[in-house]
Amino acid sequence: MSDNREFIEEFLVESGENLDQLDRDLLALEERPDDPQRLASIFRTVHTIKGNSGFFGFSKLGALTHSGEHLLGRLRDGTIRLDDRVTGTLYSMVDAVRSILQTIHHTGVEGEADFRELTQTLAAVAAGDAAVPAVPLITPQAAVPVEPPVQTAVRTGGGAAGTAVPDDAPAPTPAPSAAAQPIVPVPVPDAARPATPPADSSIRVDVGLLASILDLVGELVLARNELRSLPTADPALEGVIHRINTVTNSLQSAAVKTRMQPIEHVFSKFPRTVRDLAVSCGREVQLVIDGADTELDRTLIESIRDPLTHLVRNAIDHGIEPPATRAAHGKPRAGLLQLRAFHESGQVTIEVQDDGAGIPVEAVRAKAVARGLLEADAAAALPDDRVLQFIFEPGFSTAARVTSVSGRGVGMDVVKTNIEAIGGTVDIASRPGRGTTVRVRVPLTLAIIPALVVRCGTERFAIPQAAVGELVSLRADGGPRIEGLGDATVIRVRGRLVPVIFLDTFLGLRTVPAARDTGTVVLVRVDDHEFGLVVDGTQTDVSAPDAAAGDLRTGVRHPEAASLSTIVVKPIGGLLAQLGIYSGATVLGDGGVVLILDLRGILRAADLPPSQRHPPATAGSAAGGTDTYLVCRTDAGRRIALPLDAVVRLEQFDRRSLQTAGGRQLVQRGEGFTPVIDADTLLAPPGPPPAPAAADGGAVNLIVLDDRRGGIGLAVGRILDVAAAESALQPSLAATGVAGTLAVGGQATELLDLSVIAAHAAGGTGHAAARAPANALSS
Amino acid sequence: MAAPRIIRSCCFLVGGERFAVSAADVAEVLRDGRITRVPHAPPAVLGLVHLRGRIVPVIDMRRQLGLPDGVAGGTHLVLRVADEWYSLLVDEMLDVLEVPADRIEPPARTASEPPFDAVTGVFAAAESLVHFLDPQRIMQSLARPREPFLQRQGVLHGG
Repeated sequence: MSDNREFIEEFLVESGENLDQLDRDLLALEERPDDPQRLASIFRTVHTIKGNSGFFGFSKLGALTHSGEHLLGRLRDGTIRLDDRVTGTLYSMVDAVRSILQTIHHTGVEGEADFRELTQTLAAVAAGDAAVPAVPLITPQAAVPVEPPVQTAVRTGGGAAGTAVPDDAPAPTPAPSAAAQPIVPVPVPDAARPATPPADSSIRVDVGLLASILDLVGELVLARNELRSLPTADPALEGVIHRINTVTNSLQSAAVKTRMQPIEHVFSKFPRTVRDLAVSCGREVQLVIDGADTELDRTLIESIRDPLTHLVRNAIDHGIEPPATRAAHGKPRAGLLQLRAFHESGQVTIEVQDDGAGIPVEAVRAKAVARGLLEADAAAALPDDRVLQFIFEPGFSTAARVTSVSGRGVGMDVVKTNIEAIGGTVDIASRPGRGTTVRVRVPLTLAIIPALVVRCGTERFAIPQAAVGELVSLRADGGPRIEGLGDATVIRVRGRLVPVIFLDTFLGLRTVPAARDTGTVVLVRVDDHEFGLVVDGTQTDVSAPDAAAGDLRTGVRHPEAASLSTIVVKPIGGLLAQLGIYSGATVLGDGGVVLILDLRGILRAADLPPSQRHPPATAGSAAGGTDTYLVCRTDAGRRIALPLDAVVRLEQFDRRSLQTAGGRQLVQRGEGFTPVIDADTLLAPPGPPPAPAAADGGAVNLIVLDDRRGGIGLAVGRILDVAAAESALQPSLAATGVAGTLAVGGQATELLDLSVIAAHAAGGTGHAAARAPANALSS
Repeated sequence: MAAPRIIRSCCFLVGGERFAVSAADVAEVLRDGRITRVPHAPPAVLGLVHLRGRIVPVIDMRRQLGLPDGVAGGTHLVLRVADEWYSLLVDEMLDVLEVPADRIEPPARTASEPPFDAVTGVFAAAESLVHFLDPQRIMQSLARPREPFLQRQGVLHGG
């Protein structure tokens, strides 16, 4: 019996593949009803399933496929012709077979479901249409070349397309392929490529076996690393170690390749999905698939299946308009849905693009305000591409359901969560009336990755190299250093101020950051959000054999060779994974276990404000420093912002070190004095100046603005944040010293007028007598 | 009635008390191993240990049972339960015990609170009591949602 069980499993796997092939064949047959080879392939497949079901005694399956085979026989001998009723019935049969197979898979038996009605329909279609004068569609002379399968890399408009016509539509057009032609050129059939993949050069291997092979190779890599770290003076041994090293490298890449599968395994379902959705939604959809041969780790393939299906469903249900609407807007009746996959800088990018109505930005904006995600004035000023990102907010869509936000965002948070869970990213771009593109990026593999090993206290941690931008070493005597006070610590890198996290205090390894002046800042990028991790240093010992500093971006500014290791990612178990800041662990060459940091989780846990998650560069917002602002709170509690470009330095002084000269406050910095303007004084309405803050001690946070001749210091209560503006400036007409209002960090923030500050510094205590135009900011 | 089922268990000592887990759950016993600590892990999770390619979390049974920390060292009792591997750090491994199921009595009512809810039964051996532990309940008590740890501290900028 157990033997039989094994055979049944094999039968199920094989039949599953056959059913996928059937779906593809049926779609292709709809395109070209006169393709005898396609029909023969369908007939064969159904016949095989029927034969096997008889062998295993699955009588329902047998009866169903028998009726299907009968109908196909009638088609083949030209007694009946292929129309929507026939294809619809055949699709129903495929679905029924699939459901029976699933039941067998789960329970071992065929189950209670009753398919007699479908069996009868199959018989009726076969018999009923036989009464109609037969118009033989299949002429043996018409040797139609075999179409390349849908899943191939070439643009296969033909096989994948389907001008979907509802099953019950009266007088359907019997030549859907004709409608598909104008939109997508059907490629020249590749004669060398058979309709079915060749079976000879591949064998079926249990996935568990592959996984254990990869595990063992991982072990070998670790042992190799250890071996290489041992000191030896024996040349013979060195030679052997070298050989083992070479072989291990090759074995490793071969083993990783065994896990790779073309994304076709996901894409191949879509022609059928699209067809069914188009029918049920009353749409006409032209599907174009590109790059289906793009390979990625099979475990990832499973993980992207549901999110991609969701995106495709969204595109058809909510993106592409009904044919009449499209026609009224001067678009082709059939919507164009494009699925594209390609490799891009060590990642796989998958795009789902439709030419539908796009996302109604105003509805999203209103919804975001209604849900309290941001204030109304901030929302009004937020650029459209930023507004669209709210679609990924958890629960954003479910409450709205389909109608009020056009439903385009339904479940997008789930899509994002699932993609992020495998280290990927999702972004969206949409143009009203022109369509929507969702871009998913996922890593090639999660099993063996290059990583940077850093030291922090007595511990070591691994940072996936894919996220690492560059390294900056800190020195007390000049060079880049960490600036900032309170809660907004930043490092200045080529004019950018990048927020930093001290890894030691973040992880609770130390109570006070130790590496402020001596450590290394690892600049990382997650979801278009850059931040720095301050660590004690990078690992430089020889146990990391694959050190390749050249792999890092050319901007490396690190005196030592940055040490990259090839690490084998091991799970750490649900208990520790739920902490959300480690994505796994690995074993280094010296045998030590090292945790792999989950940068996205750290970003989340560190609670960097969402405003800092810059929109993707593709979203079209003008890049440049003036988009980024330093946000502070004045002593009086006003939320103000300064263009980051204008900020030279952040410093902290004891209040007692402030001196007064000629009615101005000054502080000694280095050799000169810097005039200090209190932000509240600057912002105070004309009239008697507010009482100066008590001069007895306490720290003053000083923003140094213009470093020529000692610069100008602006005293604020607290530095809050470095963030991008979410809106355009709304010029202010009234408030003194304020250029206007911006949305930063989801809150309305007053942008200081730099010219007024300059006037203040130059002219003494008077209230900005000579106010420059408010737009004088654009430095 | 058939003869009562025989429960086969591995016994170990923690803080002077005898405990046991089902022998079926035990993957192996490790004398010592270098433990890598995991910042922000629950206090009872000492860290990770490398076990032939597998990375296994280590649970300090003294801490888990609310006993004072023992001397350094101890023995790793590596368990595999529901495809998750982890190690219980115990003071000392004892023998394998075979007890008829009907000789195991339910735990005292006071043992319903974590971490003692992991005790599923008690067997009165000749020398002393043996407490039967359900490893999955230990894991569950550790996995119990806590307040998000990072919100408790102003962790971002280390200031």
